[in-house]
Amino acid sequence: MKPAQFEYFDPGTLDEALKLLRDHGDDAKVLAGGQSLVPLMNFRLARPKVIVDVNKIPGLDYVRDVDGMIHIGALTRQRTVETSSVIKGKCPLLTEATYWVGHLAIRTRGTVGGTIAHADPAAEYPCVLSALGGQVVVKGPAGERVLTADDFFVTFLTTALQPTEMVTEVRFPTVPPEAGWAFVEFSRRHGDFAIVGVAAMVQLDKQRKCTDARIALCGVGGTPFKARSAEAILKGTEVTDKVIQAAAEKVGGEVEPEGDLHGSAEYRKHLAKVLTGRTLRKALEKAGKVG
Amino acid sequence: MKLEGTYTFKAPQDVVYKLLLDPAALRACMPGCERMEETAPDVYEATMKVGVASVKGTFTGKVQLKDKRPPAAFTMAVEGSGTVGFMKGEGVVELVAQGGQTEVKWSGDAQVGGLIAGVGQRMIGGVSKMMIGQFFKMMEDQLGKGGAR
Amino acid sequence: MTTGTATKQKRQLRTISMTINGVEYEGACEARKLLVDFIREDLGLTGTHVGCEHGICGACTIFLNGQTVRSCLMFAVQADGQNLVTVEGLAKEGKLHPLQEAFWEHHGLQCGFCTPGMLIGALDFLSTNSDPTEDEIRVGISGNLCRCTGYHNIVKAIKAAAPVIKQRGTIF
Repeated sequence: MKPAQFEYFDPGTLDEALKLLRDHGDDAKVLAGGQSLVPLMNFRLARPKVIVDVNKIPGLDYVRDVDGMIHIGALTRQRTVETSSVIKGKCPLLTEATYWVGHLAIRTRGTVGGTIAHADPAAEYPCVLSALGGQVVVKGPAGERVLTADDFFVTFLTTALQPTEMVTEVRFPTVPPEAGWAFVEFSRRHGDFAIVGVAAMVQLDKQRKCTDARIALCGVGGTPFKARSAEAILKGTEVTDKVIQAAAEKVGGEVEPEGDLHGSAEYRKHLAKVLTGRTLRKALEKAGKVG
Repeated sequence: MKLEGTYTFKAPQDVVYKLLLDPAALRACMPGCERMEETAPDVYEATMKVGVASVKGTFTGKVQLKDKRPPAAFTMAVEGSGTVGFMKGEGVVELVAQGGQTEVKWSGDAQVGGLIAGVGQRMIGGVSKMMIGQFFKMMEDQLGKGGAR
Repeated sequence: MTTGTATKQKRQLRTISMTINGVEYEGACEARKLLVDFIREDLGLTGTHVGCEHGICGACTIFLNGQTVRSCLMFAVQADGQNLVTVEGLAKEGKLHPLQEAFWEHHGLQCGFCTPGMLIGALDFLSTNSDPTEDEIRVGISGNLCRCTGYHNIVKAIKAAAPVIKQRGTIF
């Protein structure tokens, strides 16, 4: 199939783009990388009357290390994130998660802002943002606002973004150099949508006691699942295999995924448990190994 | 697919039962309902624009209320087809009084086919449950607006 | 050709131009025309294929400014003024590209439908990893689906071509 007709605009500035969104409201859809939107349009599942192509807007493609957070411009391509030495050094969890995002050709066009705004429940970047406790910067007619990941992701494909607003920046907390981290995903073929994925960061003190644990899962609900109970099990303890098992089982018990053609609800719960264990073990192997 | 869930109304059972069968409330609360006309006793023809975010489709079809056992239970059958596919479902709605509140338990089977069922396979179960939850929440809001009495 | 009824939006055509395989092309199309359809229908470059139309199969993969993209997920107007390389641009002056030679040698194609996208995809992969292991190749081509070969000979071909391409110092 081919897309339905639409009016096409390619504004040269952010202000022009925001004006177009204001003028057209619900009728307009922002086109960034297009790797999620254009498939929907090709199948006519989405028929926006107006497309606001933001690819020509300058100044939204950047990676900056700012006070313990990595600020990434919304139009930064996922492929740029993949090869960014700043991100590899300061937020390697995001680098590892990028390995699982679609395929190379998808990552050439796909943007950081786009995947966050599209909020696919199986997507990797929202999962990492949720795990680390990041922020989303949004601009609209009322100006700029900064939302936490928790507040931003509402449900399936739905965020707190208003029709007149655009994501302009996504902020990921940095991973301390002595922390351990891992992203593990399961799908039938590499590059398929995750059936279940886990992002984790663990910090230990000199006595190998856990001082910080941040865990989130994708593919188990309408939004990323922040595993707060599992984090609490790890924090303050010496993390043994038993503790990991307890955290993994907690996650498996708490998630309430739906079943579908790709896996039953029981299977996803099982995956959530097993992958959480695997991710935590991988993260712990790295913890405390500086350099 | 099997769909089931519960929703607790902060209202007595007979009020909730009346509300759930009230065509005016149904028209206001069925997701994206643009048109709902009674064509036969307890049979309504409806046009609903249903979707999540930018994924939207218009369905035209039928809503039927049957096997009414006031104030305890009834069955709702829905079927429709449209731009993104077709759907057919039937569910039993049971009401249980809990003090001044009513717990509504719904359980049913739905068949979804066409484009949305193929491409949307990963999310259709979750989205359906979410919409049904939204429907009941909007119904509860109707009570505040002086809906069924 | 007269267009449809009064209820249809008037078809607005945009004039666009792009360089493909070193040659400048110009055309006019609606904003909604996909890049893959534009290069196939309007420009007659039918080497690039249409498969799934949602970015998964890889048959439509081409180079845009030196990196691969899914041409089924771009509108032609978005490629205005850009530099593209399609499968037709791999062979130079009648001589096959080393990767094409390797596909021939190692029987890396049967029906050939996935092949253009597979060649382009593999080259982009090799630009990120010039000395891949077999496992790395399998992950590297996971964005290109083949229904005929079972991938075995495709992987062999890429493994064989990798050192040749590395020596040339360019994937093109």
